[in-house]
Amino acid sequence: MHWLVPLPVFVPLTVAATMAAGSFVFGRRVADVLALLTAVATAALCIAILIHVGSGRDVYWFGGWKPVKGVALGISFTVDTFGAGTATLVAVLMVAAFSFSWHFFDETVEHRFTILMLVFLGAMVGFSLSGDLFNMFVFFEVMGVAAYALTGYKVETRAPLQGALNFAISNSVGGYMVLLGIGLVYARTGALNLAQIGRAIGGHGPDGLIIVAFTLIFIGFLVKAAVVPFHFWLADAHAVAPTPVCILFSGVMVELGLYGAARVYWTVFAGPFGAHGDALSHVLLGLGVLTAVLGAVMCFLQQHIKRLLAYSTVSHLGLFLVGFALLDHSALGGVAIYVMTHGAMKGALFIGAGILLHRLGSVDEEALRGRARHMPWTGLLFVFGALALAEVPPFGTGLGADLIEDAGSKAGYHWMPWLFGLVAALTAGAVLRATARVFLGLGPREVSRFSADGESQEEDESETQEDRGRTPKSMFIPAAVLLAACLGLGLVPGLAGRAEHAAVRFQDQHGYAATVLDRAKATTPPAEVSPAKWGGRLYGLGALGGALALAAYALFRNQIPEQVRRAGRALSLGSAFVGLRRIHSGDVSDYIAWLTLGIASVGGLFSLVLR
Amino acid sequence: MSTRTRLLLFVLPALGVAALLVWSFTGLPSFGHYPGPYGNVVNAQVVPVRHATNAVASVNFDFRGVDTIGEEFILFAAVMGTSALLRVQRRERQEGSSDDRDESHPAAETAGAVQVICMALVAPIVLLGIYIVVHGHLTPGGGFQGGVILATAPLMVYLGGRYIVFRQVSPKGLLDFGEGAGAGGFVAIGFIAMLAGAAFLENVFPLGKASEVFSAGTIPVINLSVGLEVAGGLLLVMWEFLEQALVVRG
Repeated sequence: MHWLVPLPVFVPLTVAATMAAGSFVFGRRVADVLALLTAVATAALCIAILIHVGSGRDVYWFGGWKPVKGVALGISFTVDTFGAGTATLVAVLMVAAFSFSWHFFDETVEHRFTILMLVFLGAMVGFSLSGDLFNMFVFFEVMGVAAYALTGYKVETRAPLQGALNFAISNSVGGYMVLLGIGLVYARTGALNLAQIGRAIGGHGPDGLIIVAFTLIFIGFLVKAAVVPFHFWLADAHAVAPTPVCILFSGVMVELGLYGAARVYWTVFAGPFGAHGDALSHVLLGLGVLTAVLGAVMCFLQQHIKRLLAYSTVSHLGLFLVGFALLDHSALGGVAIYVMTHGAMKGALFIGAGILLHRLGSVDEEALRGRARHMPWTGLLFVFGALALAEVPPFGTGLGADLIEDAGSKAGYHWMPWLFGLVAALTAGAVLRATARVFLGLGPREVSRFSADGESQEEDESETQEDRGRTPKSMFIPAAVLLAACLGLGLVPGLAGRAEHAAVRFQDQHGYAATVLDRAKATTPPAEVSPAKWGGRLYGLGALGGALALAAYALFRNQIPEQVRRAGRALSLGSAFVGLRRIHSGDVSDYIAWLTLGIASVGGLFSLVLR
Repeated sequence: MSTRTRLLLFVLPALGVAALLVWSFTGLPSFGHYPGPYGNVVNAQVVPVRHATNAVASVNFDFRGVDTIGEEFILFAAVMGTSALLRVQRRERQEGSSDDRDESHPAAETAGAVQVICMALVAPIVLLGIYIVVHGHLTPGGGFQGGVILATAPLMVYLGGRYIVFRQVSPKGLLDFGEGAGAGGFVAIGFIAMLAGAAFLENVFPLGKASEVFSAGTIPVINLSVGLEVAGGLLLVMWEFLEQALVVRG
């Protein structure tokens, strides 16, 4: 029980409340400085906790209510490497977001934006550290409420409110599912602490109540994680949310959904479902592959750069889910590295989009054609971002992908490198195409060919102050630092091994319960760690080649001989893509219908295979 | 998607979800068979250890106090968010929205009886609100419930037809302060415990004699703080909506 543990949650919340109480006292700059300092302090606290936890766990009992005879009276934060690491990612991205928003908005009314961001920060850190199922739900909801309001912040036009509404309704349904699932679990076990629930249901095989509770909690979190078919809200929210908010959404909030699902699975449900690991694995692999492919294709079809990046996030969440689905420590270690580096890379790319919006007043690829020729540094930012997306070594994304693919091949899924390569090529190709069009003016002029009816063009309301002469350093530097971090993490010696050991502890249900309930010292069970290697990753370059080819195809399509094009048309991919885009209608009623279909299908599958 | 397709896409899976839920409910313990152990353990602790006669309050504000901080910040974020989303309307006012105003409908006079009843109710409501807040650790009630009751007192003033007076008795700055100080106060009580060398939110205040108003340590103090936040927050939301409805739209 270390006194540091509650601080990164409650320091930002205190500052938010103080800022609200004294909103007339603080000037705009005072509030900005205070917010930035708070984010920096939170990041430092998270790093200190990460170091303190080391290769163990820290259990912090709020109110001093320690468990009595295996019954948890109070709430615990149960911090391990993954929890503290995720919290660190949250805080670091928040620093970048606050730095970016230094030149943000013409007016700030009583610091509402800053206050909401600080609450959002505290909530996400709390969700990462919590060791209590209901407490996780509470922080999940705080996170949600702050995020909905932040999405709709630019109320000057209608689109932000629509995007925020789609986001709020979809995610609230997810929240209710989690709550219903918690109710079922509590009715059975009388426990809310993850460790205690895990122990209570561990001994028995799964029955209807446990399977349905698992389905509800799991899917509730997957709605936040934007897994297909629960992903519809994500692009709508990203397209309209202010850029600093997008950094947090794509970089870490969506990933927190998957983190929650993984945390709950390995502390609670791994016991009863342990015997059905293969079946569970197959269902999740299916969902993951579907999400990865659909997200990547949709990404390539976008010309609104924020939407494009948003769909690439969907696609990557699919990859993370694939890694999770292997239920293997190497794969999970890979996911952890990939999430960290993806957060840094996606944060940098969104800052790039934000710079375009700041300087040129739009993020539409076609509207910006060639208009950014005088901004080579921002262009370079996008190019490096694309390299990271293509998993090119030594970017850390490649290291993460490598671990997952190896684990997949070991489990007999030899198609896995192809999946990762396809996603890398499509998402990096889309970014390269947009970069070439915006910064070099390449390619034919296109009337938004795929533009669906639901998407409005009024989304690009400029969000920044007048001065458009040059890119402020407070915007460019965080992006450069994030990209450097993405690269640097890939070069840290022994990172893969450490991540795998951390994954072993994350998956060690009995060890977790013993530290929480019996105050046992945390140990790392022995596990085989894959040898560190970079050599075998030539195909990272292959993916880059694919990305270049795809980008070139999109740009120079018209110069391809007519016969070839006719043959291509025979594949009728075009109409398939139009159909795919039409499904993403922007109508929240449709989203809820898809969501219901998803719950019924996944729940039905679980009820068949997990018994 | 056409309405018909959507309906089909929704109804069939919804039936499936319903079937799943029914299946899970068959696994619930039967009525009156509480399997424990949490309720029993807490019931045994509340009065002897915590000196609070309201078990629910001691779960909410002590055993699981951190959840309640989270819930308080859900309200806080919702209020801040509402106030952020309604802010543009103020700019609308600056731009002059006189054409919105319908001069042919002068504000309706409030009937004398309504005015009298509303004004007569203000003092009893304030008293009841304070009573509910400060007795939260003894009887059902507490900061959330009492705060809502307190917030209705200025609304009575408004209902009695005194919008100007409503703004005078609940000025924006004071509401902001109450909202922030209330939310921050709860967290501050947690930090005070840490400064005293205990865990976050651990009770470091004197426990007193159970069933007296000054007892149960931190719980009544937290209730005061929550009452402040809830009353301030609700009034702030009302304030923003009324501002928009009455001032901007005329």
